Order: sequence, then structure tokens, then C-alpha cells
Amino acid sequence: MIDFKNVTKEYGKDTAAVKNVSLHISAGEFVTIVGQSGTGKTTLAKLMIAEERPTRGSIVIGGWDITHIRHYEIPVLRRQMGVIYQDFKLLQKKKVFENVAFASEVSGTPSKKIHKIVPQVLKIVGLEKQVDKFPRQLSGGEQQRVAIARSLVHRPKIILADEPTGNLDSINAQDIINLLLKINKFGTTVVLVTHNHDIVNSLRKRVITMDHGMIISDQKHGKYIL
Amino acid sequence: MFFISIIRTIKFALQNFWRNIWLSLVTIIILLLTLIFVSVLSALNLLGDQAIKSVQDKVDIDVFFITDSTSDQLATAKGIIESYPEVKDVTYITTDQALENFKVAHADDEQILASLDELEENPLPASFVIKAKKLNQYDAIIQRLDGESFKELILSRDFQDNAVLINRISQITTRLTQVGIGVSILFAVISFLVVFNTMRIAIYTHREEVGIMRLVGATNWFIRGPFMWESLLYAVLASVLTMALLYPAALVASPYVNAFFEGYTFDFVLFIRSNFWQIFLVQMAVSLGLSMLSSMVAITRYLKV
Repeated sequence: MIDFKNVTKEYGKDTAAVKNVSLHISAGEFVTIVGQSGTGKTTLAKLMIAEERPTRGSIVIGGWDITHIRHYEIPVLRRQMGVIYQDFKLLQKKKVFENVAFASEVSGTPSKKIHKIVPQVLKIVGLEKQVDKFPRQLSGGEQQRVAIARSLVHRPKIILADEPTGNLDSINAQDIINLLLKINKFGTTVVLVTHNHDIVNSLRKRVITMDHGMIISDQKHGKYIL
Repeated sequence: MFFISIIRTIKFALQNFWRNIWLSLVTIIILLLTLIFVSVLSALNLLGDQAIKSVQDKVDIDVFFITDSTSDQLATAKGIIESYPEVKDVTYITTDQALENFKVAHADDEQILASLDELEENPLPASFVIKAKKLNQYDAIIQRLDGESFKELILSRDFQDNAVLINRISQITTRLTQVGIGVSILFAVISFLVVFNTMRIAIYTHREEVGIMRLVGATNWFIRGPFMWESLLYAVLASVLTMALLYPAALVASPYVNAFFEGYTFDFVLFIRSNFWQIFLVQMAVSLGLSMLSSMVAITRYLKV
């Protein structure tokens, strides 16, 4: 599903955010990428969605070599991946339904289909009764659920969650992780980037640990070792 | 899917337009002022040209011949004059035609007609009406006539020189055009900057939305589309409003303009009516050119997709 082969990402000379990283993530896996701030976790995530290009090495996502992906192909890649961020990235002037529908609207999905899919994904994240609320009327956990619902409307094969619990308290954080586990059970590959010890340790899933841009550990049922 | 996306980009453009209504209105007003200046400049050019043309039509040289001239001699002279490169055409007015024209011209004056009847012979000479190709060629024609062998047959020559009047009109028109071009360029530059700035602000206000669009897989043209539609909307509205303002203005000005051209076949309103779509399309082209170009520069510069 996701293949990194000897990937290095440099920002100028002698500034490598990711150094010679090789990893393979199979379809349906739940993988946690951990590490302290500035260890290259987010750069790795950016490389997966082609927001950054590797300086060296190759990246294959779902059989598609995106190492030299063309500019106009990036939207096609992004529709196959759902991305969730720490700051939710919701449109404050749009209601819950509109925020989720927005992802489908911009990709040209017919309105009829949007009105069918959006309630379904909102039900998955448990927000079917909050459709008419604005983001400011929701808690942090609920806002992150909206972001997850938005990432699900394209029925992605991969969910990439970059510090999705960073702005949440422990209860809400656990709810979000449970939701990601639920999505993973449907067969979606989940890549979780985090530095939250408790979450990583409670998951008992594969843990890839990064330090100074390199993978220092890759455990099948790992724990936070740093 | 393509059609749906086009409709959605238009919807987003209309939302942007409405949410920044004051900025949109200012942009349209500036474009409108530019179009008004370009239109007024074009109208002045047209009226100036028409005025010059009207005066030009009246300029000719009348050459009168002595009554002893034979028709063969006059036919030869006509042929020679027609061969001058400066001559556009030569009209031969025989003595009989001259008499006929005179009678028609003085049909109401019985005294003159009666005295004409008293004369035994036709007193009016045969003549040529010579028209030059260009206004400044009459002097050259007169010089050539003075050097011709049939010079002895010429009784008199009448050349009403309207050159001073024509030069005057031409000078005023040229000056007005120069000022008009200057003002139009100034407004075009201002329009460009205003549209550019409007787009820059629109892009800045929508930076969050654009970021999310990129995140969820919107194509580049879908992200840029609403901004391009918005600039198209400015251009179309400015053109329509300009016509809506200028047409009544032309109706008001028409009696004065037509009075100026009294006696000539020129009707200002008729001209605008028969060229309405051409004028509208030219305005639209100017407006679209300015608006789309500045938007494209702003989008390329500030909208990173």
C-alpha cells in the first residue's frame, strides 16, 4: 500500500528532515509514527500526500509511483487519501454538513450523491444530530470528528492523521483514536503521526519510531520507546 | 462532472462577489470609468473624422472656360486633367447644363429669369469641377493647370480653400485624442491595479478555504476558477453599465451633435444604434482584457496551488 525506498528529504545543503527512510505499510494496517518534535514525522506525512517531493529515493502509494508525480495528478492522489490535522482545518462560516460536503463539492460529486454520503459519514463519526451547527458551536473532539467525516467522504483507502489529538483532552483524544480504530476495522489503512505516549502504548499496534530523520525502530506491537 | 464543477466554481465566484460587495462595486466603478473614457475618446475621434470628411466633401476647383472653346478642346483638356495622379475625378459641365443649373438655383427669382430670357446667347461658360484625391493636392493641381497648353482657354478659376478650417478641426481632434489616450491609459493602469488588488484581497480572505480545497483534492483550475469567474463578472457588469449610462447620454447629446452636422448625412443616434453591438463588444473586450489579465497576474503570483 505505502512503500518508501531510501527516501531522503533535504531542505538545502546539510538540512535533511528525512534521511534514507525505507518502510512498507500494507493495506488495512494501523501504523503509528512516533518521535519527538523535529524528527521528521510531519515531513514523512507530507511526502505521502505529495506536499513535498523527495530529494532522493522513491515513494509508491497504492501501486502508484508518486516520486515524480505531476502537479495536475496531485488532486487525484489526495482524493484517495483522507488527511486529518491537529488544527482540524474546518471552515468556520460553514455548518457541519457543509464542511463535510465541501470535500465532495470541490471534486465534482453530484449533489444527489453528496446528500446521500454526507449523512452516512456523519453517522460513522457520531455527529448525525449536529449537522446544522457551526464549528464554533462544537467541542474540540467534535470538530476533529467533522474533519474525520470530511476525510471519509471520498471513501479513501488511506487515512493519514497528523497529530489529530494534539489539541484535545485525554477523553476526547481517546474518542478520536477509537474512531480511527473503527475506520481501520472497515479495511482502511490508518497512518497515525503522534507523540502522545499514552495513546501509542494503549494501541498495541505497529509503531515506527523516528529520530533525527531516521527510523530507529519498527515494532509490530510496539510501545513509545523514546 | 465537468459541468457540475463549472456550476460550482460560478457559485463560489458569486459568493465571493457578494461577500465583498463594496470591494466588488469599487472595482466595477473603476472599470466603468475606464470604459467611459475610452468610449468618449472614440466618439470624439468619430465626430472629428466626420467633421473633417464633411468639409473635405465641399472642397473642389471650378475651372471656367472661355465661350470660344470647342467641345473637342475641352474633351482633350478633360483627358489631360484626369491623367494627373492627384486628381480623383473631373466633372464636365457644359454651357447648357450650367444654364439649366442656374435656372434651377434661381427658380424663385423671376427677375433674374426674365433678364436671362432677354439675352440672345447663353452667357454662362462651360466648366470643370475637379476633385483631388487628398486635401493637400489642390495646390499641385493648380500649378499643373497653370503650365498646360490649354491655359489660354481658361477664363477663371475658383478654389475655395477650406484648408484652414480643416486644419483647425484636425488639430482639435488630434489634441483631444492625445489627451483622451493619456487619460484612458491612466485609467487602464488604475483599473489594472484595482482589479489586481481586489483579487489579492479575495485570495487572502480565502486562503483557508483554498488550503482545504488543496487538501481534499480540488484541481488547480477548480481552485482558480472562482477568481477567474469573479473577474469576468466585473468585466461584464462594467460593460453593461457603461452602455446603460452612455446610450441615454448619447440620446441627450444627439440634437447638439446633429445640429453641428446640419446639412450632412450624419445622425449620431442612428450611428450608435446601427453599431450598438460592435461598440458593446469593443467595450467588453477592453474590460475583459484588463480584468482577466490583472486577475491572472494576481492569481499566478498569490494563489499557490
